[in-house]
Amino acid sequence: MTLLLVVIGLFSLVLINVPIAVALGVVAIVGMISSKGMDSIYNAGLTMFDGATNFPLLAIPLFILAGALMNTTSISRRLINLTSALIGFVRGGLAMVNVGVSMFFAEISGSAVADVAAIGSVLIPAMKKRGYKATFAAAVTSSSASIAIIIPPSIAMILYGALADASIVQLFVAGIIPGLLGGLSMMGLCYWYAIKHDLPREEAFSLGRLWKAFKEAGWALLLPVIILGGIFGGLVTATEGAGLAVVAALVIGTVIYRELHWEHLHKAMVDGVMQTAVVMLLVATSAVLGLYLTEIQVPQSFARGIIGITDNKYAVLALLNVMLLVLGMFLHGAAAIILIVPIVMPLVHQIGVDPIHFGIIMTLNLTVGQQTPPVASVLVTACSIAKTDIWNTTKVNLPFIGVLLFVLLLVTYIPAIPMSLVEIFYR
Amino acid sequence: MCKTLNRWFERLLETISVGLLISLAVVVVLAVAYRKGGASLVWYDEVAAVQLAWLTYYGSALAALKRGHLGFSGLFFSLPTGVRTVLFVFSELVVIGFFAVIGWAGWYLLEVFGDETLISLAWLPLSFTQSVIPVGAALFIVAELLSMPDAWQKARAGIDYEMVAIEEAIEEAQRPS
Repeated sequence: MTLLLVVIGLFSLVLINVPIAVALGVVAIVGMISSKGMDSIYNAGLTMFDGATNFPLLAIPLFILAGALMNTTSISRRLINLTSALIGFVRGGLAMVNVGVSMFFAEISGSAVADVAAIGSVLIPAMKKRGYKATFAAAVTSSSASIAIIIPPSIAMILYGALADASIVQLFVAGIIPGLLGGLSMMGLCYWYAIKHDLPREEAFSLGRLWKAFKEAGWALLLPVIILGGIFGGLVTATEGAGLAVVAALVIGTVIYRELHWEHLHKAMVDGVMQTAVVMLLVATSAVLGLYLTEIQVPQSFARGIIGITDNKYAVLALLNVMLLVLGMFLHGAAAIILIVPIVMPLVHQIGVDPIHFGIIMTLNLTVGQQTPPVASVLVTACSIAKTDIWNTTKVNLPFIGVLLFVLLLVTYIPAIPMSLVEIFYR
Repeated sequence: MCKTLNRWFERLLETISVGLLISLAVVVVLAVAYRKGGASLVWYDEVAAVQLAWLTYYGSALAALKRGHLGFSGLFFSLPTGVRTVLFVFSELVVIGFFAVIGWAGWYLLEVFGDETLISLAWLPLSFTQSVIPVGAALFIVAELLSMPDAWQKARAGIDYEMVAIEEAIEEAQRPS
C-alpha cells in the first residue's frame, strides 16, 4: 500500500511537470515524515549531501568536460571525413558513415542531444541532397546515436556502476561487443535499404584520401585510445582516466588543432557543469528516496513479489526488460537508471545475474527508450534537423528499433556476448 | 531590472561552478601525478567528493535558472491554458517548498556539526563543507524565482524549454566556427 502511494505521488508530480529530481525528494520526505516524524527531515538533508559525494561519479563531470572540449573543435567534421573515406564507397555509403561516426563519437559530449546536433547538422542535409528520404536520414542519425551509449566511455554506465556498486571498468569492457554488434547490424540494415531504394555510393575508395583523413582525425582518435587503454590496462581508474581525458582534450584543442578559444572553452565548461548538476541532483535526491524505500523494505518486497510469480532467471529478466522498456518511454535514461537500480538490484542478485551483465541489459533498454516517444529527445533533435515529422520518422525507424531489440535479446539470453571479454581479462 | 539581476546571478553561478569544475579536474590530475610518483595525496578522496557535492548544488542552481532540470512536459503542454496556469503555480510552490525544507535542515545541521572537521584535513570544519546544503538550497530558490517570469510566459504560450534547448543545440552545431 505504501509503495502504491509512493508510485502515485511520484508520477503525479512528474506528470504535472515538477522536475524529476524534486519529485523524488518530495515523495521521500513526505514518506519519511509520515513514518518517522519531523526529525527525519534533518536526515533527508544529510542523505542528500552524502548522495552527491559518491566517489565513482567524479568521472561524470570530467568525461563530460573532456567531451565538450573535443566538441568545440571540429572533431565531428574530421570524423565524418575519416569514416567517409573508409566506408563511403559502399552503396548507401552516407547512411553507413552516419552509423560509423556515431560509434566513433560514442556519447563523446555526455549529451546525446549535442552529439546528434553535431553529427546530424552535417550528415542529414548531405543525405537529403543525395536523394535519401528525410525520415530515413533522421531515423539513422537518431538510432545510431543511441547505440553509442553502450560504447565506452558511457555516462550511463558510470551512473549504473556507482549505484549498483559494480566495476565501471568491467562495464566499459562488457559494452564493447554489444556496441559493435549493434553498430554493424545497423550498417547491414542501411545496406539492405540502399539496395532496395537504389541509393548512391560516395567517392571511390582511395588510400591517399584515407591517409589524409586519418592524419587529420588521428589526434581525436588517439584520445579515446590513450584514455581507454589506460583504464583497461589497469594504469588508471575510470575517474583518473576521465581527468587525463580533460588534459588530453585541452592539449589537442589548444596546441595541436589550435581551434579551442576562451569563448568556446567557457561555454563548454558551463554546459559541462549544467549537464553534471542535472544528473547529480537526481542522484542526490534519489539517495533520500532510496533511504526511505529501504526503511520500508521496498526492494526486498519487490524481489519477493517477482520471485512469487516466477523464479526462472530468464523469465525474470524478460519481466525486467518489459518494465525497463516501458519506463524508458517516459523517463530520460539517467532518471530511469537512478530510480530503478536501487529497487531491482536485490532481485538481480537473488536470481544470480551478474551485475555487470545486468548493467548492459539496462543500458540497452534505455537506448530503445531514447527512440520511443513521448520522451525521445534524441529522435526529436534528429527530426528537427531533418525538418520531418516524429511519427512518420518513427515508422521508418522501426527496423532500427528492431535491431536494438534484437541486440537486447542476444545480450539478455547469451551472457557470453557482453561477458566474454570481462571473463578473459578480469576474472 | 529583473533581466539585469538574472544576468548578474547567472554570471555569479557560472563563475563559482566553473571554478569548482576546474579545481576538481586539477585535484584529480594532481592525485594521479602524486600516486604515480609514489606519494599519494591522503586528502584526495575526501576533498574531491566534497567538491563534487558543491558542484552539484551550485550547478543545480544554475540549471534551475535556465530551467534545465529533467522533467516530463508532454502532458503539461497538452492541457488547456487555464489548467496549465494552475499546475504551473502548484509545481513552482512544490519546488520552492522542497528547497526551503532542505535549506532549513541544512542550517540546523551546521549547528549539529559544531567543531567537527574532515578526517584527512583536520583544519577544515565540516560546518564549512556542509554549508553548501543551506546555501545551495537558497540559491536554487533565488534561481527559481528569477526565472519564473520567463517560465510563466512560456508555460502560458505553450513553449517547452526542452524544445528551446534542442533548437539552441542545433543552432550552435550549425554555426560556422
